[in-house]
Amino acid sequence: MKKETIAPYLFLLPAIVGLGMFKLYPVLSGLRQSFYAPAFLQASETFIGLKNYISLFTDPVFWSSLKISLLFNLFVNPIQIFLAFMLALLLNSKLKHIGIFRGIHFVPVAVSIPTACILWNIMLSPEQGVVNSVLVGLGLEPQPFLTGSKQALASIIGIATWKGVGYWAIFLLAGLQEVPESLYEASSMDGASRFEQFKQVTFPMMKRSLTFVAVSVTVSNFLLFSPMYILTQGGPEHSTNVLMLESYNSAFLYSDTGRASAIVIILLLMTLCIVALQFKFLKAKH
Amino acid sequence: MKKMKWIAVCAGISLLAAGCSAKPEAQPQPAAKPSDNAAPVEITYLANSSWEKPIKKVVDAFEKENPNIKVNLQLSPTTKLTETIEIKLASKAQDLDVISVDVPLTMGYALKGYLEPLDALLGADAKSKWIPSATEAGSYQGQLMAAPMNSSSVVLFYNKDLLQKAGVAFPSDQINYRMTWENVVEVAKKLSADTNGDGQNDVFGFSFDQVGKAYQLLALAQSKNAKPLSDDGLTAKGYTNSPEMVNAFQFYSDLFNKWKISPKIKREEALDYFISGKVALFLASTQNMPRIKDAGMNFGIAPHPYFEGGKIVTPTGSWHVGISKYSTKKEAAAKFVQFLTLGKGSKIWFDENGALPASKELLDQIDKDSKYQEFPNNIMKLAASEARETAAPRPKTPGYLEWENNVNKAFEDIKNGSDPKKALDDAAALIDNQLKKYQSVVK
Repeated sequence: MKKETIAPYLFLLPAIVGLGMFKLYPVLSGLRQSFYAPAFLQASETFIGLKNYISLFTDPVFWSSLKISLLFNLFVNPIQIFLAFMLALLLNSKLKHIGIFRGIHFVPVAVSIPTACILWNIMLSPEQGVVNSVLVGLGLEPQPFLTGSKQALASIIGIATWKGVGYWAIFLLAGLQEVPESLYEASSMDGASRFEQFKQVTFPMMKRSLTFVAVSVTVSNFLLFSPMYILTQGGPEHSTNVLMLESYNSAFLYSDTGRASAIVIILLLMTLCIVALQFKFLKAKH
Repeated sequence: MKKMKWIAVCAGISLLAAGCSAKPEAQPQPAAKPSDNAAPVEITYLANSSWEKPIKKVVDAFEKENPNIKVNLQLSPTTKLTETIEIKLASKAQDLDVISVDVPLTMGYALKGYLEPLDALLGADAKSKWIPSATEAGSYQGQLMAAPMNSSSVVLFYNKDLLQKAGVAFPSDQINYRMTWENVVEVAKKLSADTNGDGQNDVFGFSFDQVGKAYQLLALAQSKNAKPLSDDGLTAKGYTNSPEMVNAFQFYSDLFNKWKISPKIKREEALDYFISGKVALFLASTQNMPRIKDAGMNFGIAPHPYFEGGKIVTPTGSWHVGISKYSTKKEAAAKFVQFLTLGKGSKIWFDENGALPASKELLDQIDKDSKYQEFPNNIMKLAASEARETAAPRPKTPGYLEWENNVNKAFEDIKNGSDPKKALDDAAALIDNQLKKYQSVVK
């Protein structure tokens, strides 16, 4: 009996060790670091307790970055999930050569983020960028896009969505293909319209896939900062300075790992709360 | 079945144990070899990727002269170079021996303990071989921390074909007849044109080379007598956002947003705009000369402009080289630094890179050699004269990185249409917040 109880834990041991080493240890190390002052000017690290957190809460840059991170996620997550779901529905159609369309929608996923950023930077350039050339050709005013404080965050949401939707759609497509055909046949015999079928069959059956996608999209977008780093460096007028970028700059530009770690810990707690809420409200009932 | 399960568990654990163990069971090791004096030492040098061609020539010559020292040249783009240095040296990495130091960062690097003092390594007389301004800029508390690779100066390049086409007279190359910024605007308006009729200029009268960068733009404010930081280098409010600074950067904003005579481009695109005939007047450092010459364009040079009634000020300061405090091969690294900044390498660097030298010997050569009287080599004569008479350094502060990053962002915003006063006020507040950490270490 005892052997039976130990065996599963022994099987789990490699995974638990890996989890501890590569997931928990960095988090705990970050937490510890957030209680220390920048070490670069002193001979050794100085324990300063919660001072990094207190100084963050009185720092307007932190509050502005927090606001921008929340604003970014408030838009980018629903947009990506909605578009990915719509795309998955389209790609689930029983059409001839549908594989070609599925392949095309996966192309942006295969482009690396830096390459995608450079391409979009050229296309959205205020000086002779192709998007502005089209706008001018249509008799419209050229737009600043990434160089305007009112459009930069929206432009980055657009680029992140272009890059991410195809990827998330793949998971939702897999979920759609798992919905039993018999449910559609039964509802059809009961006289359900296409919309009712979507409401009563597709959506409830997709809740698990949607929860997975919602949680993954949220986590990845809260941590996303490479487009801001490459395209705008947090500008114009700090309009794209998300928390992760602020943390990166603190750590790797200004050598203040204490402040950077405190930001990451706050971000981690915030993401955990949001993910917990998502699990609570999106949990499948079947 | 139960037995099979246990075998699998045991096998898994043994595999894990094998994978995690740092070393296999102690094996008999061969006796340690006595140190082989002939074995080459490899030093790692982190340099700017834009120097690839000239710096490789210096490295090749050094390796030829010092067969026992190999230089592992690592290249990083300008914008990422300081970040790479911060990441490596803040983590006390030992895999970097020689680093490129943008000279205003010397004080910050010295305070953080990144640099090894060079006085003992290069010899006491080394400091007297460079111009005093370069030696002083690379020193901290009387010790040389970073040796100058070169100094720098900025001149106004112009595209003769575009000026002729617009019926504009060529500017003089004499410092007594330098253009004012007001003249530059007047001329640039005539030179800017919408050639394809889409309602936007596609040929521009004027562009800075280092668009949005403090190195070049600070001269605008300094010409209006602005002082960018307090004397102790720790206060930005009242300096970085002073009325003089705001006034100078209103002018900068107008170039792009009111007069539309400058293209809203990034620094990396500026030289290509000039070479391809999209910009007529191009204010750039002498280091651009080799590429402008190679492009085969019909160009001329003129002195740096100033504001009418203001001070004549030109940018200066450049890249130095330092030895990492954490390097384990400091002597070999010092040999390379000596070669690059004072030895044969400094001559190769000057010939290939085109930057204004900081070494007195090379500057004397410019003064004496008749080839520097003729165009286009006379650019060095002009630059040397500017470096002596009109050059103004960037602010000296341990937080130069913080100051520069924030003002560069403000300059970028101003270019894109932000109100100069608001952008500089915001930058000053941010800088002051970030400079607080240095207050206890600056006496």
